[in-house]
Amino acid sequence: MKKTIIIAIILLEGISASSQKFITKTGHIRFFSEASIEKIEAHNRQVNAAFDATTGDFVFKVLMKSFEFEKALMQEHFNENYVASDKFPTAKFLGKITNIKEVNIEKDGIYPVTVEGKLTIHGVTNTLNEKGTLEVKKDKIEGKASFTILLADYKIDIPGAVVKNISKTIEITVDLLLEKASK
Amino acid sequence: MKIWIKVLLVLIALSIIGAAIVYKFVYNKQHPDYENIEASFTLSAQDLYQEFKKNPYPSAKLYNGKIIAITGILSKIETADSLVTAVFVFKQGDFGDEGLRCTMLKKYNKEAIKLQPDGEVRIKGYCTGYNDTDVVLEKCSLIINNEN
Repeated sequence: MKKTIIIAIILLEGISASSQKFITKTGHIRFFSEASIEKIEAHNRQVNAAFDATTGDFVFKVLMKSFEFEKALMQEHFNENYVASDKFPTAKFLGKITNIKEVNIEKDGIYPVTVEGKLTIHGVTNTLNEKGTLEVKKDKIEGKASFTILLADYKIDIPGAVVKNISKTIEITVDLLLEKASK
Repeated sequence: MKIWIKVLLVLIALSIIGAAIVYKFVYNKQHPDYENIEASFTLSAQDLYQEFKKNPYPSAKLYNGKIIAITGILSKIETADSLVTAVFVFKQGDFGDEGLRCTMLKKYNKEAIKLQPDGEVRIKGYCTGYNDTDVVLEKCSLIINNEN
């Protein structure tokens, strides 16, 4: 845990040193899964994210208790039984846009990007390599990506009684409207 | 009507009522009424932020998932989509302003937008934690008069 924090601080320090830093504190992450009986959908609109358009360094951090479900019972089960949000209150991604040189932040447009890095959920870290887009619009950049994770990869167990109700995978959609940082 | 048919009908009726109760009060139960839950803690916005900053893990154990009432000098009101957030800034860091962010319940949005920076406000909300830059309260309501 300490090592991850140190890496995050180093990365953020690196990002802060750049004049091309973009940030948001109101990013949106949605997760969705659909099994035969139960459809599960949750939204978190309090996502912290920072992006350095010069180096491609990219980080976001999520408070697990900020995920909102339509059903209160699902929200309870999510926090207590699945992600253990008291024990693991945050999820985070530390990584890089590997083809950042193909993105011209001076020119409005939608640029396909590849994001590579480490995603930590439920205290378990896995490497991610996913496609997404960066949309440059004036002084803002909107980053979007959608990918699927396997719950087992993050040691999230589904109780036997509801194993048929809950999908073994979750589709995660990230939408971050980043604004140029003032400092 | 034969007795066993009567018993069967009663059992079926009881089963339907039981299923309806489980559906309404367990499976489909309502989210907490955050506005009317009594605060577990009452402290200043700055003290809450400093506690999380100095001792993030013990503070998370103490405050996460609890209803907290805070008092502080408002720095600004932010709006993003349908969210209205009262912000108390205590530091400048890598993510810009750092401090306490209180996202209002929808019914308080109009009232919160009218709040003036530099004025003292009292807010109650559900603490979702500290993300290394800000302490976050959600489902917040404005506390007016002397209610807790």
